[in-house]
Amino acid sequence: MTNSDKTSSARDTILGSIRSHLTSSLPHDEREIASHHAREALKSDFVAPAANGGSLVDLFKESLEAVDGHCVVVRGEAGVVQALTDIIARLQGTRLKARSIALSDNPSVEQLVRQVPLEVDELGIAPSSSEVFRFDVGITSAQAAIAETGTLVLDATRERHRLVSLVPPVHIAIVAAEKIHETLGQALAELHNESAEVSPTITFVTGPSRTADIELTLAIGVHGPQELYVIVDEEPPTEAGDIATG
Amino acid sequence: MDHLTTETFDENAKAALADSQLRGALRNATSLFGQRRLAAARSLPNWEDLRSHARAIKDEVLLHLDTYLEAFVSKAQQRGAQIHWARDAAEANAIICRLTLERGARTIVKSKSMTTEETHLNAALEKAGMQVVETDLGEYIIQLAEETPSHIIVPAIHKTKKQIAELFTLELGIPPTDDVAQLTSTARATLRDRFAAADVGISGVNFGIAETGTILILENEGNIRLTTSLPRVHIAVMGIEKILPTFDDIDVFLKLLPRSGTGQRLTTYQSLITGTKRRPEDEGPDELHIVLLDNGRSRMLAHPVTRQSLACIRCGACLNACPVYQQIGGHAYGSVYPGPIGAVITPQLMGLEKTAQLPYASSLCGACREVCPVKIDIPRLLLHLRSEITEKRSAVDGKLIKKRKGERLAFKLWARTMASPWLYEMSGKLGRIAQRFVVRQGKIGKLGRLASALPPLGAWTEARDLRPLEQQSFREQWRKNLGSSGK
Repeated sequence: MTNSDKTSSARDTILGSIRSHLTSSLPHDEREIASHHAREALKSDFVAPAANGGSLVDLFKESLEAVDGHCVVVRGEAGVVQALTDIIARLQGTRLKARSIALSDNPSVEQLVRQVPLEVDELGIAPSSSEVFRFDVGITSAQAAIAETGTLVLDATRERHRLVSLVPPVHIAIVAAEKIHETLGQALAELHNESAEVSPTITFVTGPSRTADIELTLAIGVHGPQELYVIVDEEPPTEAGDIATG
Repeated sequence: MDHLTTETFDENAKAALADSQLRGALRNATSLFGQRRLAAARSLPNWEDLRSHARAIKDEVLLHLDTYLEAFVSKAQQRGAQIHWARDAAEANAIICRLTLERGARTIVKSKSMTTEETHLNAALEKAGMQVVETDLGEYIIQLAEETPSHIIVPAIHKTKKQIAELFTLELGIPPTDDVAQLTSTARATLRDRFAAADVGISGVNFGIAETGTILILENEGNIRLTTSLPRVHIAVMGIEKILPTFDDIDVFLKLLPRSGTGQRLTTYQSLITGTKRRPEDEGPDELHIVLLDNGRSRMLAHPVTRQSLACIRCGACLNACPVYQQIGGHAYGSVYPGPIGAVITPQLMGLEKTAQLPYASSLCGACREVCPVKIDIPRLLLHLRSEITEKRSAVDGKLIKKRKGERLAFKLWARTMASPWLYEMSGKLGRIAQRFVVRQGKIGKLGRLASALPPLGAWTEARDLRPLEQQSFREQWRKNLGSSGK
């Protein structure tokens, strides 16, 4: 096969070039590197100072609102349904309409949305890439969140929410309060540990889509959602309705 | 628009300086980003530790780049990614053209990637008959205008909203508007159709994780998520230096890159992509191709000073901090990478022959070194390259060797003078007598015919005035008044 021959020779050339250039650098390196700190000596904990006395939920809410996201903190299933109802009812009065709603395939998301006492034209579950463009709102859960940055962690192996959280103009995410990490480092550590290999697609989401590409003027909602709502559920999840692992 | 080249840097810079609209835009952008960066850095108590830590991680990778690259490749392959090695830009473009042609692709969506700007991939794909659409708003504007980016982070920084509105009216047929939200939503609507139709998505890579084979891409708009989620094939183009050893290392770089680039705590989206999807029915592309590009990078490993160039994470902080970039913008550099980091990377990528003016496009003030999140000593790199240029020139040009002999003699005399109080004072006195011939209206301006007789003074006053020596030196004043009356 010519292609693989070519690739392997390019590979050998590049690796060979790396090795030979590193070797020719050796006489200069001794002087330079001694002045550098050893990497291990710098390994320290980079956790930011704890939230000014508040809870992780408070810190998460504050961080998310600082980047133009909306955050509603509720307790229990009834609270989540009420929050969904309020958000969708308000959207239905705007040009964002919220008449057709796409859901991820998390059954507890569907179970919650079914309880919303509002009329909609269409409810689609995990629509395909050709269908997803016609929806006004996407509703998903999030597998975790990060308080210090106001970030949602979406793991595509746990829920089919890659497109539903991205394509519609509005994204509503439901996350259990106990899934909020304080720091980015803690969230990363949970995503990669010895027991499991890293999931193929993990997405961090911090606020609505934004750009400042025209005269540095902030515009919200360029390619991703222009509105992001996060409903934080402080109720300890029951076995049946575990929203985070759904 | 004519694309500027590195060889005409001085002329490019002069033209940019005469463009008051450009300079206004640059002033706004660079000062805003500079302030935001500073505020974001100060919000972390351990910013300096983070910088040192990040640099130590990069040094570790670069000193063992072969090992880390092989680890990354084998991990990514285990997870289903296909790896392609490209020695240079032409090879990378040929690989990508072949991949798209073999898959019968017609429409390609691209997210912003400096590496594919470096290889001029779009031109190659278009030649192969593909329709290529840039989807980052700034890049999309640049593509419509048939221009090149002028900033690493904000590619269309040089254009006003009025110019963009006119462009959109002309190219997309919208009614004239100067509303940024309106322009943005026009781009969103137009590009949605392209995303829906695209066969292949091409992205860059911010970091490749050796431990897990993960690629990490940062953005604010969502176009990278669309580019890497909707088309059936995802091709990621990555310079060989983008490796980090472990998944944990992501933490440090996610703290540094957004804060240094835009002053954000975190950009809106990070996509962490590890190989292909687990089950065919999952969302996302069926194929992931990672193209590893050398294109002159491995050469930079040959010396610790040049090797630092490969630690760059493309945040753009040095552009915003640079008094030269602040005045002339990105296009004048005539290459993909502008500003201080461009002035050191471009000559190393393209060779010194065509880029010899770039390492001199700096006052060596050190602002770039101060803001660099990975502590690249750019002034030292500039001096290193300048000395290489001088070595090369003296080798081919005998006259230069003579000139250098003259220079050496001048510096010897200067050193002798500065070391002796008597000589120092005498030189001041002589200077005050001599300057009578060149001082006009209280300053030393252009020297005219005298310029060639007094080379350093002539070169200095070519572009700026020099303050003449005072009629009395400090020592003389001290002896006359202060020394006796003081205490």
